[in-house]
Amino acid sequence: MERRSEVLIVCILSRLLSFFALSSIIHLHDAFHLVAKVDFNREIRPILSQNCIPCHGLDHPKSELRLDFAEFAYQGGKSGVPAVVPGKPEVSELLVRVRAQDQERMPKKGKALTHDEISLLEQWIREGASYATHWSYTPPVRPVVPSDAPQEFIANPIDAFVLRKLHQRGWEPSVPVSPEIWLRRVSLGLTGLPPTLEQIDDFLAEDSPEVREQVVDHLLNSPRYGEHWARQWLDLARYADSNGFQADQLRDSWAYRDWVIEAMNADLPFDRFTIEQLAGDLLPEPSLDQRIATGFHRTSTCNIEAGVHPEENRVNQVFDRVNTTGLTWLGATLECAQCHSHKYDPISQEEYYQFFAFFNNTPLEVENKSGAGVSFDFWGPKMELPSSVEEQVKRSALQDEMDQMKRELKLEEKRSEEQFAAWKTRQAELLKQANELDPTWETLIPLSAKSDGGEEFEFLNDHSLLAGGKSGNFSTYFFRLQGQAGTWNSVQVETLLHDSLPSRGPGRNYNNANPNFVLSELNLYLEEGNHSLAFVRAEADFSQGGYKPEHLFDGEISKRNGWAISPEFGKPHWVRLELAESLILKEPTVLRIEMRHRYGGGRNVGRPRFSLSERPLPRTSTLDSRLAVLLAKPNRSAKEKKELRDHFEKTYPKILTLRKDLKRVETDYLKCAPPTTLVMVEMEEGRETRLMSRGNYLSPKEKVLPGVPKVLHGWRESWPDNRLGLARWLVDPENPLVARVTINRWWGQLFGTGIVSTEADFGAQGELPTHPDLLDWLAVEFMEGGWSMKRIHKLIVLSSTYAQSSSVTSEMLEVDPSNRFFQRGPRLRMSAEMIRDNALRISGLLSERMAGPPVYPPQPDGLWRQTGRNEPKYLAARNEDRFRRGIYVIWRRAAPYASFVNFDGPDRSSCLPKRSRTNTPLQALTLLNDQAYVEMALGFARELVSLSPGYSLEDKARIAFRRALTRAPSERELSILLSLRAKELKRLRSEPKRVEELLKACPVIEIDGEVDRLELASWFFVANALLNLDETITQG
Amino acid sequence: MHPSNHPIDHYLQTLTRRQLFQRVGMGVGGFALAELMGKDLGARSVEPLSHFAPQAKSVIYFHLVGAPSHLDLFDYKPALQERNGELCPKEMFEGKQLAFIRSRPTLLGTPNEEQYQFKPCGQSGIQISGLLPNLQSCADEMCFIRTLHTDEFNHAPAQMFMQTGFGRFGRPSLGAWTNYGLGSLNQDLPGFVVMVTGQYPGAGNSVFGSGFLPSVYQGIEFRGKGDPVLFLSNPKGVDSTARKRVVDAVNQLNREQLHGVGDPEIATRISQYEMAYRMQSSVPELQDLSKESTPTLEAYGAEVGGSGFANNCLLARRMVERGVRFVQLFDQGWDHHSSVFGRLSSKCKQVDQPIAALIKDLKERGLLDETLVVWSAEFGRTPMAQGGDASGRKTRVGRDHHKEAFTVWMAGGGVKPGYVHGRTDELGYGIESGPVHVNDFNATLLHLLGLNHEKLTYRAFGLDQRLTGVEEHHVVREVLA
Repeated sequence: MERRSEVLIVCILSRLLSFFALSSIIHLHDAFHLVAKVDFNREIRPILSQNCIPCHGLDHPKSELRLDFAEFAYQGGKSGVPAVVPGKPEVSELLVRVRAQDQERMPKKGKALTHDEISLLEQWIREGASYATHWSYTPPVRPVVPSDAPQEFIANPIDAFVLRKLHQRGWEPSVPVSPEIWLRRVSLGLTGLPPTLEQIDDFLAEDSPEVREQVVDHLLNSPRYGEHWARQWLDLARYADSNGFQADQLRDSWAYRDWVIEAMNADLPFDRFTIEQLAGDLLPEPSLDQRIATGFHRTSTCNIEAGVHPEENRVNQVFDRVNTTGLTWLGATLECAQCHSHKYDPISQEEYYQFFAFFNNTPLEVENKSGAGVSFDFWGPKMELPSSVEEQVKRSALQDEMDQMKRELKLEEKRSEEQFAAWKTRQAELLKQANELDPTWETLIPLSAKSDGGEEFEFLNDHSLLAGGKSGNFSTYFFRLQGQAGTWNSVQVETLLHDSLPSRGPGRNYNNANPNFVLSELNLYLEEGNHSLAFVRAEADFSQGGYKPEHLFDGEISKRNGWAISPEFGKPHWVRLELAESLILKEPTVLRIEMRHRYGGGRNVGRPRFSLSERPLPRTSTLDSRLAVLLAKPNRSAKEKKELRDHFEKTYPKILTLRKDLKRVETDYLKCAPPTTLVMVEMEEGRETRLMSRGNYLSPKEKVLPGVPKVLHGWRESWPDNRLGLARWLVDPENPLVARVTINRWWGQLFGTGIVSTEADFGAQGELPTHPDLLDWLAVEFMEGGWSMKRIHKLIVLSSTYAQSSSVTSEMLEVDPSNRFFQRGPRLRMSAEMIRDNALRISGLLSERMAGPPVYPPQPDGLWRQTGRNEPKYLAARNEDRFRRGIYVIWRRAAPYASFVNFDGPDRSSCLPKRSRTNTPLQALTLLNDQAYVEMALGFARELVSLSPGYSLEDKARIAFRRALTRAPSERELSILLSLRAKELKRLRSEPKRVEELLKACPVIEIDGEVDRLELASWFFVANALLNLDETITQG
Repeated sequence: MHPSNHPIDHYLQTLTRRQLFQRVGMGVGGFALAELMGKDLGARSVEPLSHFAPQAKSVIYFHLVGAPSHLDLFDYKPALQERNGELCPKEMFEGKQLAFIRSRPTLLGTPNEEQYQFKPCGQSGIQISGLLPNLQSCADEMCFIRTLHTDEFNHAPAQMFMQTGFGRFGRPSLGAWTNYGLGSLNQDLPGFVVMVTGQYPGAGNSVFGSGFLPSVYQGIEFRGKGDPVLFLSNPKGVDSTARKRVVDAVNQLNREQLHGVGDPEIATRISQYEMAYRMQSSVPELQDLSKESTPTLEAYGAEVGGSGFANNCLLARRMVERGVRFVQLFDQGWDHHSSVFGRLSSKCKQVDQPIAALIKDLKERGLLDETLVVWSAEFGRTPMAQGGDASGRKTRVGRDHHKEAFTVWMAGGGVKPGYVHGRTDELGYGIESGPVHVNDFNATLLHLLGLNHEKLTYRAFGLDQRLTGVEEHHVVREVLA
């Protein structure tokens, strides 16, 4: 096989690589080498950080030499030889060692320093070897805005900084972009949606700086603004609608997503935005919204697979919270210090765990519901969201009812205590008797017998009673019998056979040939005082499915509630009933027995015989043996006590009924439960935090207290040492990082790359800012302007820098391929959500409904494959939810929305400061074939065919083009679209079946009966093509 | 430039080397990668980005999800059989992280029944269980590591640890790293393909995700039902001719735009639409087994038009033949906390024949030397018995998760055939000699592909990240041919 390109899956790769054999190499650093004097942060720190600090840094420095701070470098290590002697390169050991050719050479591992790097070090030492604080750890100071620049390019100070940099390089800015493309760019940039045709026409009619400002204000005030900008924040917040891991069950946290959208729409100042998310629950009397905001840190993944150790899961969640906080607010990768002190940045392992301590006081988030085994469920504090007045009234009524029932239940439980004690004694006694006593039966001698159904009884010699004569439909038998003296615990009823009975019995059914009986109820009395004797358990030699012997004393007398023996006919049977209390007869005594039959059709017992036994029914079931174990224990655990109590309650109808009723009301209550959202809650008593050796929670070391990295600004005494204090520290004006990091991320979203290109790393390993003064000016402007996000966004999008054309010449592509110097306008492929939203707006399908539970647009079947218990189902919406914005689409971590994944949508399992922006064939397939985009193309076509008949084909094509791209098409572009339409129309005419197939596959796109379906289908292909253009999915 | 010029030529004329990396999202990290590899990209021809001569060109990686009992398949323990039923030594229980077992368990040996009997196989005499009769006949091709150990003892974290070198979310998988380092050998197919039978792995797509690498490197799932690749088929009512016309119109318009704007991204987009159109025929061609001979189909137990594990094994061979770099098969159903012997036996029946057929088929076609076949799982299973399920109910005997030592094997692509590395103790609990950490194992796999795990890096979150983490890890030299 031919060895071809290996880096990419893109097809052009091999050609690219062969090209590189010819291309020249340009280093990024070249761009910066313009200043004569060595700049420590720009030129020296990267060399030290990359080559020296990993071994000669904070953590166990080799040979006790540290090179991360001046004092250590000047002093030297174990040998006592100074590594760096300011002004004297020739005696500085550092230089000697990096130049060495033998085993003395530093760095020991890896490549030697280059000649240029060594020269820089030498120059730096000669110039005094001063160590500057890493640039990002020094608070920003508002720089002077350059004023010497030609004014025509300067719309605001941003342009002055950008222009100065361009002029330093001898470059000029690009021409302004055309007004309609500016409008599209700014609309997409601020709201993620393109302008409508009306908006375009209005704007083109009176473009001016004032109008541009009005347009921007309008966009900033649109609810669509928050929906768009929330996406970037939710990537940082790793917001999703499921737990992640094995089961990946869904959980409700969408109120937090809506909070972010609302906060951005309301321009909630970023300091409050920060405090409420990190510690809203700890504010004095927090509002509902402030508590919802704390959902930020409840979005951590949570493992509930069987066998998980809850504490390990919790510690992992805290790691995630620490790392997310570091990346989001500090542009710092604290994670490195989890196992050992940071190799590059001055953050020790101890400091990591001090930071950890702030987050260490929330409860476990998995629970073992059953209290046994290793099966776990998702738990963690939830908060109810407000609901409508009727719902509240209904809920409150149900709540009252539940409270009342719970009170009654409690009272009844108290009342039953005495009986419970007696029950336990009796059970113990019965268990003993059941095993030890003699199992003989003492037959009862019948004294009299009658029936209300017309039966006559014959007294047989074996003391059984043979029913004869008419068989009543529903008969009740009444017997008087003589019981002997003794202590009796159970009664037996035998149903014997006889030749006179149908098929010999044992029943007298006259409906059909089955000699069945259904005995509904059996009552036993002492004749004297008519005292009823209760039964507690039953046993039969055989019972028909659903006709259990327990039915004989359950108090329910109905057709199908009894004991029966089908199909075991032609055989004698017996049922034994245990008495609730021992029957003690001091002398022979008369007993009464009533046998009720309520099935009908003469299904009455044919020949009963009765007897008594001293022995209770046998105790052989697992339940019995468990009871025996429990009763035998001298000391029972709380769990065992409850188990025993549950057994008892089965014999206590009042409590059983109460519980059943309570359960019913509880179910009703849950049914009308308001939606909930996950929130942070601090435990009353905090945990002790210890440093964990190698990040392992099973290896705790020394204790640490909450604290922040010393390299950053200080802590104020007035702050509480909890999450609230931490949040206040983060947004303290002295924090050198938070404003820069935040501004930079917004800049990055609008321009494609931040002023610091490593948006997640402002540390020593990060890239330096291309425009440090611009970054600082914006950061100070941001803080001093009341932390207003909209204010900064307005500045950026109204700058001339943002308004430049994005066209690029080969020359500029060569010297600044990724537009780091902003010599041209941004040109970026849209995010996954924007691509969807944009296409929905173009096609006229977009629903502007906001907020609420996540939505399910169509995706291919079978993507939510089972990953564990309680698998949720993906059912595509058939109402307007199908066409809502991407921000509301369900985000299941194991299987995020398929088309988003193809456009670099993350799984939201961990904090993501910046998505990749790739270009793949799968993206082409998605836009061409995904049902969602097919529906959008058809919706788009529907809009075109419904235009008034006055429009020509060219007009329609022009309108279609402008809807998709804002600008007007060239003649050639127009002819490509029209030619596509004409060719397809011709083919469709000969194959009208395809039109029907297409329309039938998109039933949600309703087509008016008047519409020419052939015409519609031909425009479908035009729409399909337009939605697939590079320009359509690009902010240009 | 006139639109009739090929846009790719224009693209090439306007790109710098740095931009190549940026436009595929590699940024400075990728740039650093090229430098770290010590090769001057500008001076080299179209060789792969290897650090040294690779032994294997492609990988077919089986991950048996849930973790099969290696003790009953590959690590024969007569002492465990003898002591079956004894309480386990205290040190095997106290202070150990076990997922399900909560009280001191008994030892559990492989049953003495016929079907479970181990036997020395082939010339090498390696012991393999009778549950895998077909693989027994491949013993002389296989290279075992009996002493792999991992850091995680729950499924999802352990699956991520095995595949990404990290027990939590956010890191690229082995396949993604390989794809990033080496790319695909076929322009019309992805470099990293995944096939799943049974439930998804608990850690979801993360086990074949791209983490912080650009998402082009993630595993693309080929599915058994519906479109093999998502969105591959045209919508109803759109046939191939119509599709071609739309793609042509899109690309004509894109060329207009490229001409006006000059952004090389547009040239890439044009080529991706062409590739997408080609994939619409190359993927179905790949999936179509009707040209395979009857003996081949029967050897695998695969069916034309069917789906399932056997079909996937045959597809894996077809992918490797066509230049897919990394094929990964996940098969669920090996988590035998209860009834381990019965369930193990039935799972083995599903995979034994097709995997053995694959090894033999690759060998016959001369592909085994350049294809690395891997059998792995997230961990092993305990030599101790487990008798309860997740809710604590008693069940028929099973084995719990075991991270201290377990067996994986490789075949082909540069490994020593008929070889066993490492020894566990007589009860199969711990390691006696030759421990191999998951990161060592992954370093070894990269090595076999010609990649140095310390040099295959990507700058993210302030670090030159690598698959094997920041600690020192080593290639297991002993297993190299």
